[in-house]
Amino acid sequence: MAEPRLFQLSMSPHVTSPLNTRRVMLDVVTALLPALAGAIWFFGFVDSLLPVLVSVVTAVAAEYFCLRIMKRPVNAALDGSAIVTGLLLAYNLPPGVPWWLPVIGSGFAIVVAKQAFGGLGHNMINPALLGRAFLMASFPVLMTSGWQAPFEWSAPESHFETSGIPVENLQAIPDADAISGATPLRVMKDSFTMERHRGNAVRAQLASEGTYLNLFLGRRGGCIGETSGLLLLLGAIYLVVRGVLELRLPLSYLGSVALFGWIIGGPGLLQGDPLFSVLAGGVILGGFFMVTDMVTTPVTPWGKILFGFLAGFITIVIRRWGGYPEGCSYSILIMNLATPLLDRFTRPRILGEVGKHA
Amino acid sequence: MGKRRTFSGGAHPDERKELAEHSAVRKLPAPKVIRVALCQHLGAPSTPLVAKGDRVTRGQEIGAQNGFISLPTHSPVGGTVLALEDAALPHRRSGPTIVIETSSEEGGAVFEPWPEYSSRSPQEVIERIRAAGVCGMGGASFPTHVKLSPPRDKKVDTLILNGAECEPYLTSDARLMVERTADVIDGMRILAHALGVGRVFAGVEANKPEAAAALEGAGAEVITLKVKYPQGAEKQLIKAVTGREVPVGGLPMDVGVVVQNVGTAAAAAEAVRDGMPCMRRIVTVSGGGIKAPGNFDACVGTSFADLVEAAGGYSGEVVRLLSGGPMMGIAQFTDAVPVTKGTSGIVALTSREARSLSEGPCIRCGKCVDACPMGLAPCLISEAAEHSGWKSADEAGALSCMACGTCTFVCPSSRFLVHYIKRAQEAIRASKRSREA
Ligand code: SF4
Ligand code: SF4
Repeated sequence: MAEPRLFQLSMSPHVTSPLNTRRVMLDVVTALLPALAGAIWFFGFVDSLLPVLVSVVTAVAAEYFCLRIMKRPVNAALDGSAIVTGLLLAYNLPPGVPWWLPVIGSGFAIVVAKQAFGGLGHNMINPALLGRAFLMASFPVLMTSGWQAPFEWSAPESHFETSGIPVENLQAIPDADAISGATPLRVMKDSFTMERHRGNAVRAQLASEGTYLNLFLGRRGGCIGETSGLLLLLGAIYLVVRGVLELRLPLSYLGSVALFGWIIGGPGLLQGDPLFSVLAGGVILGGFFMVTDMVTTPVTPWGKILFGFLAGFITIVIRRWGGYPEGCSYSILIMNLATPLLDRFTRPRILGEVGKHA
Repeated sequence: MGKRRTFSGGAHPDERKELAEHSAVRKLPAPKVIRVALCQHLGAPSTPLVAKGDRVTRGQEIGAQNGFISLPTHSPVGGTVLALEDAALPHRRSGPTIVIETSSEEGGAVFEPWPEYSSRSPQEVIERIRAAGVCGMGGASFPTHVKLSPPRDKKVDTLILNGAECEPYLTSDARLMVERTADVIDGMRILAHALGVGRVFAGVEANKPEAAAALEGAGAEVITLKVKYPQGAEKQLIKAVTGREVPVGGLPMDVGVVVQNVGTAAAAAEAVRDGMPCMRRIVTVSGGGIKAPGNFDACVGTSFADLVEAAGGYSGEVVRLLSGGPMMGIAQFTDAVPVTKGTSGIVALTSREARSLSEGPCIRCGKCVDACPMGLAPCLISEAAEHSGWKSADEAGALSCMACGTCTFVCPSSRFLVHYIKRAQEAIRASKRSREA
């Protein structure tokens, strides 16, 4: 008989899938890069890349120091989650903000919104969004005005309209100068309080094919990372291919934004524009990268669907009646708080459980 | 072959069957010394019938059945009893064993062979299966005669032969179905006769077309199942084959079904048709840490070390040695443990294959919820369990967990979900007992 050897004891299962947290986070980072490239293309290095870098570096550094102070393993600072938070925070800032704004926002996101709750997996609220909400409350002017008109790297001298309306279509709008420098959603919101025929003319231009195309490509004003639906979608497809993105949340959210955008997003009932609702503002960024933040959203299949649906509803309500033109971030923040409740009431049906339907 | 049926949830671990699936079963001569456990089955251990120094013959009953949920134990060899002692066993920390020095492996039928078993009454057949010490060969080792004796109020109308073999690496059932088709088919008919059922299916995963074809060719109604873990778990198999759902906390017979492993069927055939007690089984020896993986027909009591040697010995850095497959198998600290009736495989994993022993925080990705074949939310149960919230763990269905390991497998943070849920189960059961008392 061979000499007895000693082996490791452990609980089953003894094998694991190749997917791990770090890989998930790094995949998300990769998926966010096309949008960054777009931001550089439309707003230039200094105004887009710089705040993003500052934000990411701050996030990782803040994570590192928090872990140091709490005497936890510091290599967790490199698990990728802080990079994701830093990126998302910066993507929600207007281009060209002063360098210290992302420092404050990112620092707040990591220290207060994440680590104070116990670190990765324990925070209830999406740190990047809470960081943004903090900046909105503290520096409202910096956060909501001075929108830069995008240009194309290849032709830096000619600018696009921040509203996304093609320049050649502006003559159809009486007194078009008044809407220059405003984001598409702001223009939409203002149109409701304009004189009737003028409001109609504005909305007709917002709902034109030329505007849709501009919004989809990113030729419009907006936050650093939210403007190009196309590039965000590219990242989302990458995540689906990598098996990281769970589609229930984004689809129910974007579907709900379109649905309620149509029902209550217009001047009257059923007069809204579903396509504009999805393309304008930050819902594509929000739908694929923030509604999908795993930690702060439900784990159950129906919880995910409901989360997206309700967040979509709240987004439109804020857009139409709230104090801000965009409601994406706040809708997600509000729903984050409802996550434990959703998890509890949407428990899946246990195999063989009677009187409860799947 | 019909369409591929399955259950909802589950996962796709790397199958790694190619290591051993084409290696024909090799009969391993009994080693010089064997160690026969008296508690190879679930239930009370058998009571030893021999003493140190006694001579035993092959097939002799050396341990007597001890209550209804128990089985007799037979000596797979002729020889001399060297010792009666407690020793480490693959499926539990330790238990009573009988050490025998082998002198011969010769011997014929122990019971009267019944080639015409259908002329015997179901009671006689069940009694023979009991006397031969047959238990579930798929791993759970539940005494087969108990499963064949449903209470009168349970009407069993369906027998499912379990040839899913969904654990990675393991190929013993696949080889059995291909090489001993007649034993499996005879056993299937014997079990159907004992239960008095006419609806009989054999469930085989689609990755074993050879086995499915063999059974089909021999007259079985084969249901081809999707390759997905845990396709061979009883409740999932029943759902896939019959569409019926075993109620929470219930047994297969509650929906009129009995599931038997293909290895159990072959053992029943040998017991009834050939008059042989259950003393041998096919064991897959595989894993990245094995030189020449293969399948072996070994007598119970053969040590893991002997089998590993027969498979060419260890290769590379083996960190973990398992009894059974990598999803539900039990880690062994030594290879000096003996094969039992329930040992379907011995898997030696290298550090590249084995799951690391550290876990990260739950990032609430919900993958475990999507994957749990029982429809549980493992992350929420384990979260409750980590804070000793036994009541909410119970409400979330902790007792329905079958410890299949799918959740931990898919978890990106490699959470020890099965471990936490098992702890919750123990606490919940204990508090239920104390409330009843
Ligand atoms: S071990 Fe339990 S909780 Fe985990 S997947 Fe299996 S049945 Fe579900
Ligand atoms: S798979 Fe792991 S990380 Fe994901 S929810 Fe379940 S326990 Fe948490």
